[in-house]
Amino acid sequence: MADKPAAGTEVPAVRLTSITKSFGAIVACDHVDLTLHRGRIHGILGENGAGKSTLMKVLIGLVLPDGGTIEVDGEPCQIRDPHDAAERGIGMVHQHFSLVNPLTVWENVMLGDTGRFDAAAARRRVAEISERYGLGVDADARVGDLTAGVRQRVEIIKCLRRDPSILIFDEPTSVLTPAESDRLFEVLRQAVYEENRAVALVSHKLDEILHATDEVTIMRTGAVVDRMVTAEADAPILARAMVGREVSLRSEASALGLVAELAGEGADEGAEAETEGRTPVLRLRGVTARGPDGRVSLDGLSLDVFSHEVVGVAGVEGNGQTALTDLLSSLLAVEAGAVEVDGAPVEPNRPGAMARAGVAVIPEDRHASGCVLDMTVAENLFLVDLNRIASRGFFDPALMRREAGRLISEFEIQTAGPDAPFWSLSGGNQQRVVLARELSYAPKVLVAAQPTHGLDVGAIEWMTSRLRAVADSGVGVLLISSELEEILQLSDRIAVLFRGRVIGEMSRGEVDLEELGLLMGGAGAAEPVPA
Amino acid sequence: MSSPEPPSAPSRLHEAAVALAMYLGCIVVALFISAVIVSATGGSWQAVFSALLDGSLRAQGRWGETIGIAIPLVVVALGTAINSRAGLVNIGQEGQLMMGAAFAAYVGVRMAGFGPLAVVCLLLAGILGGAIWAGIASGLLYWRRVPEVLTTLLLITVASQATGYGLKVEWLLLAPFREDRSVRNQVSEQLADDTRLPRLDLWGNDFPISAVAVVIMAAVVLVLFRRSVWGFRMKMLGRNSRTAQRAGVSSVRYGTWAMLISGGCAGLAGAFMFSGGDFGNYRFTPGFSNNIGWEGLLVALVARQHPVGIVVMAFSFAGLRAGSGFLAATGVEREISQVVQALLVLALLVPPALLFIRERRRALAATRART
Repeated sequence: MADKPAAGTEVPAVRLTSITKSFGAIVACDHVDLTLHRGRIHGILGENGAGKSTLMKVLIGLVLPDGGTIEVDGEPCQIRDPHDAAERGIGMVHQHFSLVNPLTVWENVMLGDTGRFDAAAARRRVAEISERYGLGVDADARVGDLTAGVRQRVEIIKCLRRDPSILIFDEPTSVLTPAESDRLFEVLRQAVYEENRAVALVSHKLDEILHATDEVTIMRTGAVVDRMVTAEADAPILARAMVGREVSLRSEASALGLVAELAGEGADEGAEAETEGRTPVLRLRGVTARGPDGRVSLDGLSLDVFSHEVVGVAGVEGNGQTALTDLLSSLLAVEAGAVEVDGAPVEPNRPGAMARAGVAVIPEDRHASGCVLDMTVAENLFLVDLNRIASRGFFDPALMRREAGRLISEFEIQTAGPDAPFWSLSGGNQQRVVLARELSYAPKVLVAAQPTHGLDVGAIEWMTSRLRAVADSGVGVLLISSELEEILQLSDRIAVLFRGRVIGEMSRGEVDLEELGLLMGGAGAAEPVPA
Repeated sequence: MSSPEPPSAPSRLHEAAVALAMYLGCIVVALFISAVIVSATGGSWQAVFSALLDGSLRAQGRWGETIGIAIPLVVVALGTAINSRAGLVNIGQEGQLMMGAAFAAYVGVRMAGFGPLAVVCLLLAGILGGAIWAGIASGLLYWRRVPEVLTTLLLITVASQATGYGLKVEWLLLAPFREDRSVRNQVSEQLADDTRLPRLDLWGNDFPISAVAVVIMAAVVLVLFRRSVWGFRMKMLGRNSRTAQRAGVSSVRYGTWAMLISGGCAGLAGAFMFSGGDFGNYRFTPGFSNNIGWEGLLVALVARQHPVGIVVMAFSFAGLRAGSGFLAATGVEREISQVVQALLVLALLVPPALLFIRERRRALAATRART
């Protein structure tokens, strides 16, 4: 089983040729070729939105391609749904768990099976797989009691139970600790080298690709930009290929110009000198917090934001961005650390404390913490500071309507009127309501988390120019975004977030895209950045 | 009745007209089905409707009776509107009302001779009793995350057992033994004349003065909901608790207040019933609550938590209750007359459900139109 035939002679396990898939105007995969061989781990590297997930969904039958051909073991075929894929021996371990918490491990593994049901056999099978790969999963444990790492192993068992010859892992380490990741890769290597399976490992983490794969395909904006043997690559090469010349799906040309301008600028030292000795409007020191699953979401995070500047928080999604926004929305209980606004300490997690101290927030998910869908536009404009129009605990609805009307015209919000229900607005206009409200109480800090997510081009431009204007008016802006282009376009200073801490900072003048890409991949956290 | 409004702009007047039309339509349908059923079983539907009308409004002194029944229904429903606004589900009004009445009885009976002071004290005791009972549920909710739906419901049973026990011992509620009473029942001492709520008399219809208090309460709640910062924050909490916390609304503090007020209202309803005279003849007995708690909850649901709607609906439900007393005299079978009553309740329940579905549909349509 262990003798590997030479790459050229054998029939590849999977050959995708010229796969194309577009969603509306966005081309997610543009004539992508990919070949997976048995006995090898193939890395697929790219930023969020590069098209890697779509490509894998084509292979597993979740997405039907617009064009291109699929060959499995040299045989051309069509994969219409995951069932088809399973019959051809293709299995996928998804990024997000699809487990039922109250059920036990073996029950979860059996979910979706049809026909006769043999509990004893299922338990035996789970134990057997767990034993063979050293997964250490108890078939009778309740899934809800398990840690994220073990849950993922349950997903792996679900996949391996069907004995697939082709395995796809989609961002498998996004929810794992470093130790758990190492453990996962051991299992992977065993499955590949000893049992001659083919593995596709989808990731945006450089370390992972370098450590775990044999060959790598790098994708950017839906197309393959490079292919290499991993042994011949190193972190800077991969980073350059992945981040490259910062091209965006939205505005290629302008982004290209912008990056060139940024790289050559270096004129911000005056601004830098100004901040010396000043009190930051927002100061975070050693903030540590845990998510509901017990995983550390913020790990000693420290960050300063001064007035008049935009600080961009770059980083791959899932490295603490959500927790950081929650912290500044008084929604996160912290274990350690301090938050100061304009020099005065603020108690985290005390309802409304951040808002009262002057921290305005445009949340990532505005429906969760930025608005009340079932209230009117006017009411949504006064959620945070109704007291501005109230006296002795009472307010005049007519005054509220008038003030709301003023904000509606000032922020060009398209709505039937102040009494229109908030849910009747479009996403861009909802975002305008949130921004209008957050700015209406003269904040000291504005936190904008993924402020352009899900907005159309016009709305994005509007939002971007507004954020810049807000910073120019003297507010400290903290821009948390997974869109590197957005960060580069707006920020005076960039902080890179990795696993809940800031692992690097650079001013706009000294941005080195290669280094930035490396930092985002976490290369700087574990080992010194290669020169 | 429907006003001619442009269909493109559904104004508030238009909405109100639609709602009113729905109610009228549903009641007409219910009356029609009732008439068919009564006729089919050999009764006279004219006699049935006439009896209902007589019992609730037409006969001498009957609308005073209806008001007397409506009073506790309004108070319970107003409390329910407050906890619903905060997003909490209190379905234990029946128990909270029972505790309120028991507290009021304990204090009222012992304060015979103190006059108006005693009335105030027994009403406060009623509020306290109901608030404690709802407070247990909110305490368990915020301390141990026990769902308030379950605790409030189960506490009804506890309340009925606890008050039952109180009615077995003299140091709590049981009336002292007297020679002239042969059978010793579970019954409290009767409230003394001077500690009863005064009764008003209008054209031969008499009802307790608490009717005035109840109308004022409804107005106060209306203002709190429409114009107060507190009501605004309650609403925010009920509709999006994360947004509320970010904006400075503590779910524990506001939620606890909502539950205490809701329970306090149910308790006050119990105290009104005990000291008003329309229920139990100023004596507290097992089963004193007589489903008023449940019916008040229903009133709040049917009125969709709107204070004005609550007053109207409470009067309708009270009228049905008062009117049903006259049905026995019509010679129609009891089962049949109960079906008639149930149909009329259903007629009041259907429009709010239809309005709710209509709003959801619109919300969904708007969401779809956006994506």
